[in-house]
Amino acid sequence: MSNNKPLYSPPTLGSQLLRWFCKDRLLEEIEGDLLEYYQIEREAKPKWKANLLYWFHLFHFLRPFALKKIGQNSNIIIMYRSYFKFAWRGMMRHKMQTSFHLLGLVLAFTVCGLIYLHLKFETSYDSHHKDADDIYRIAWMNENPQTRTPHPMAQALVSEFPEVVKAVTFSPIYGPGLTKDVILITHDASNVTHEITDGYFADTTFFDVFTYEPIYGNPKQALQNEWAVVLSESTAKRFFGDEDPVGQRLSFNGMVDLLEVAAVVKDAPKASHFRFNFMLSYVTLKSLPFNDPWLSWDDFGHFNYVKLSPGTNPEVVESKIPNWIPKYLNWSEDNIESLKAGEIGFKLQPIQDIHLHSNIRWELEPNGSYSYLIIYGVSALFILLISIINFVNLNTARAAQRLKEVGVKKTLGAFRSQIFTQFSIEALVTTFLALILSVFVMNWLETPFNNLVNGSIAIENLWQTETVTFMVLTAIFTAIVSALYPSVYLNSFEAGSILRGLKLSKLGGSNLRNGLLGVQLVATVILISGSLTIRNQIQFLKDKDLGFDQDNLMVLTIVGQTYSQKIRTLKSELESISGIGETSMVSNVPGGQFNQHPLYMEENPQLRVDASEMFVDKDVASTLNLEIVEGRMLDDVFAADSAGTAFVLNETAVRELNVQDPVGKQLFWVNNEELVKGTVVGVVKDFHYNSLHVPIRPIIMMMNQNAYNHLIAKFDPNSLPQIIEQVEEKFTEIVPEVDFSYRFLDSQIEELYQEEARTFRLTVILSAISIFLACGGLLGVISIVIRQRVKEISIRKVLGASAKNILWLINLKHLLIAAIALLIAIPASVIFMRNWLSNFTYQAGISPLVYGVTSVGILMLIGLTISLISIKTIKANPANNLRSE
Amino acid sequence: MKGTQLGEFEELVLLIVGVLYPEAYGLSIREEIINQTKRKVAIGAVHSALSRLEDKGFLKSELAEATHERGGRRKRIFTITAEGKKALQKNHELRNSLFNQIPNMALKLAKLV
Repeated sequence: MSNNKPLYSPPTLGSQLLRWFCKDRLLEEIEGDLLEYYQIEREAKPKWKANLLYWFHLFHFLRPFALKKIGQNSNIIIMYRSYFKFAWRGMMRHKMQTSFHLLGLVLAFTVCGLIYLHLKFETSYDSHHKDADDIYRIAWMNENPQTRTPHPMAQALVSEFPEVVKAVTFSPIYGPGLTKDVILITHDASNVTHEITDGYFADTTFFDVFTYEPIYGNPKQALQNEWAVVLSESTAKRFFGDEDPVGQRLSFNGMVDLLEVAAVVKDAPKASHFRFNFMLSYVTLKSLPFNDPWLSWDDFGHFNYVKLSPGTNPEVVESKIPNWIPKYLNWSEDNIESLKAGEIGFKLQPIQDIHLHSNIRWELEPNGSYSYLIIYGVSALFILLISIINFVNLNTARAAQRLKEVGVKKTLGAFRSQIFTQFSIEALVTTFLALILSVFVMNWLETPFNNLVNGSIAIENLWQTETVTFMVLTAIFTAIVSALYPSVYLNSFEAGSILRGLKLSKLGGSNLRNGLLGVQLVATVILISGSLTIRNQIQFLKDKDLGFDQDNLMVLTIVGQTYSQKIRTLKSELESISGIGETSMVSNVPGGQFNQHPLYMEENPQLRVDASEMFVDKDVASTLNLEIVEGRMLDDVFAADSAGTAFVLNETAVRELNVQDPVGKQLFWVNNEELVKGTVVGVVKDFHYNSLHVPIRPIIMMMNQNAYNHLIAKFDPNSLPQIIEQVEEKFTEIVPEVDFSYRFLDSQIEELYQEEARTFRLTVILSAISIFLACGGLLGVISIVIRQRVKEISIRKVLGASAKNILWLINLKHLLIAAIALLIAIPASVIFMRNWLSNFTYQAGISPLVYGVTSVGILMLIGLTISLISIKTIKANPANNLRSE
Repeated sequence: MKGTQLGEFEELVLLIVGVLYPEAYGLSIREEIINQTKRKVAIGAVHSALSRLEDKGFLKSELAEATHERGGRRKRIFTITAEGKKALQKNHELRNSLFNQIPNMALKLAKLV
């Protein structure tokens, strides 16, 4: 060697990679060539360039001729390949069993996957806000808690509490009766008009607390300006398409060019507990020359949200409020007492909990319910459990059939661990196949499932690390558990004795199998009895007398003060249509939300009662068929009635006001600043104007010509199509600017129990799946057991046992297991369902019938399954069975 | 046997192996190809062609002495076999005969264009 100067060394990773993939025969020359080449390049070029070239040429060796041939010479690879081959052959040999396994696992994985995605979506509400963990809503907790608190509270908290970093107060634009108002917005330049819902007034700090992605303009700045409006992206699109609308003017309810578009932000994600279409600033409101008590401390009429400094315990702030706030509130000693005593108070609700855990008055949108999610989750886990148990049970039952195979393998030198690996791989092939199939099924079921649970899951969300890990781990867990028992059991025999002709006197693992069978039945019974109880409750709610008529009533809604005159015209026009009976104008419809204010009797001013209010016309009692127990209903022939100083109460209000013979007595209605004094003229029987989730609360009814939003009309169901046609005609004639739409009162009330109905449908499906899987599993196991016991049965028959005796013998054990399962499942189910029923004020109760039906059903089903599968063997001629061998 | 045809690049490599005799190995072949034809060739491409030619029996190889600049690794020196020579000759003749069959007119016209 002439020149022994040191060599440049190429990237180590590269040479390692080469050694890993390159054929041994070619490795030396290729390595040599690359190294030599690298030396030349390094001499001439900078290091990075040489490295790059080195890598370039290295990757050019990734060609078939240079790559190691996999599995050619490796024992391990050959062995693993044989496992897969055996697994495949095994699956093909038992096609029935394989398809049942796959079906069961696919069903379970699909159900679990869909419900998992649903739960994940439902629990992800409002997590998109920056610092979402530190944002809280202030709720007012009294005997009828509500989301709304006074407007000045937010900024007072920021200035006087060091823990409160930012705060915002906002409110939806409410119409009369505190229904969310619909605003007519017009872009006059292009003459485009839309009815827009979800308009909000918000403080300038809105975008400091909540995170919205700006698209045009600067939203934070926008809220500083009078008459500036921030639009959501979807709303902006409706008016301006894809153009930048900043600076354009919009008309508000016919007030020409009142608003200027100052910014556009992205719509809130679906998982938000509120969303706005357009937003005006309180700055705009305050610029108006009116001193609205709404903006004072007296009106609990705004949504207040605070952002605390990171990691602050909200209870610290909560506990300071009762001693701080009385200086602002113009309250009686009594009220302040009970505030300080903690009987009533302000609560900070974590923003991310609002969707699932808050269900108080004035939620911005209907929230979800945590207890239903638990039902969904538990049901899904039950199905998974049942399916895993099936898989394990059938695999263990089949183990005895594979005794010879294991014997041969062990004689040829297989280790125990290799037997286990083989069994695991066979199970893994099935579970992973099921997993892959279930992804397809999930894709297919995405929309039906969303319709079923009113969800918004997207299957592509499945491809997240944790979800994939969870599913893969479930598949692996299922496979390993099902492989564990057979391999341990079969490994326990000595190879020699197996081959010499060891006969298993009985199938091993029956204790384990029976135990698992019991667990399966427990899950099934809980599911079935649960869905029956839910059904009972729904039926109970449907059948319950609400205290008013809900059938054959049509509701026409025209929200907005501008229409109060027109709704009167509409009423008189509608009355002329034949087939329309009584009609009534009201501010709120039973089943909807009601505003509430305090009341007190003149004779007892200390006793204040919060009462819902409903503005009604003279026909409300006859239209809704309300029963008047005392006095009379309102009527505009009396001047006091039409002036709004005559009141009708319900029985609960009378009871809570603690007044005898209320008719004719003076009552004060505390409408914030305005104290209305009037006479009680009548009392109506209690009726369920709210959903049956809550008890009946006090209500006060009075007249107010400007507050009617809804027209309720009784119709003759026999000529409904003609009536609707005529109503539409009149409607478009009187209010052409509003799109005609109508609802039926009974279906609107039914919507209050949508969540129950959905849960019922889901649990029925899941119960059906669980019955199918449990019976299928039982069928599979019994058919294997029977095959093992053919000889025994035949001998019994020869000795004179009747088919009935033998059937009983085979059934008895499983019926006993079922009985034990029932004993465990029924108390568990009762506790669980009682817990669920406690969500309702009016409960159907837990019916023993449900459990009777479930028990008898399960026992019969098991008996039937076992008898069906065994009857052939039992009926067969014992001589034939005994002669073989 | 399928695959005893000589591809264009294979023919080039085979020729260069002849040219470089007795010093033809992967890297030197690549260099020669670049020098003579101005084509850009990856080392891997050359090795791949060499291994194919060897499979077809047109080349034979043996490992030579280890050298320092190769980090003590040996080169594989390639030489043309009788089969290889025959294949080259066949290609050469085929090409010459085809070229000679082109009418003069055709070549002249091509020049004019």
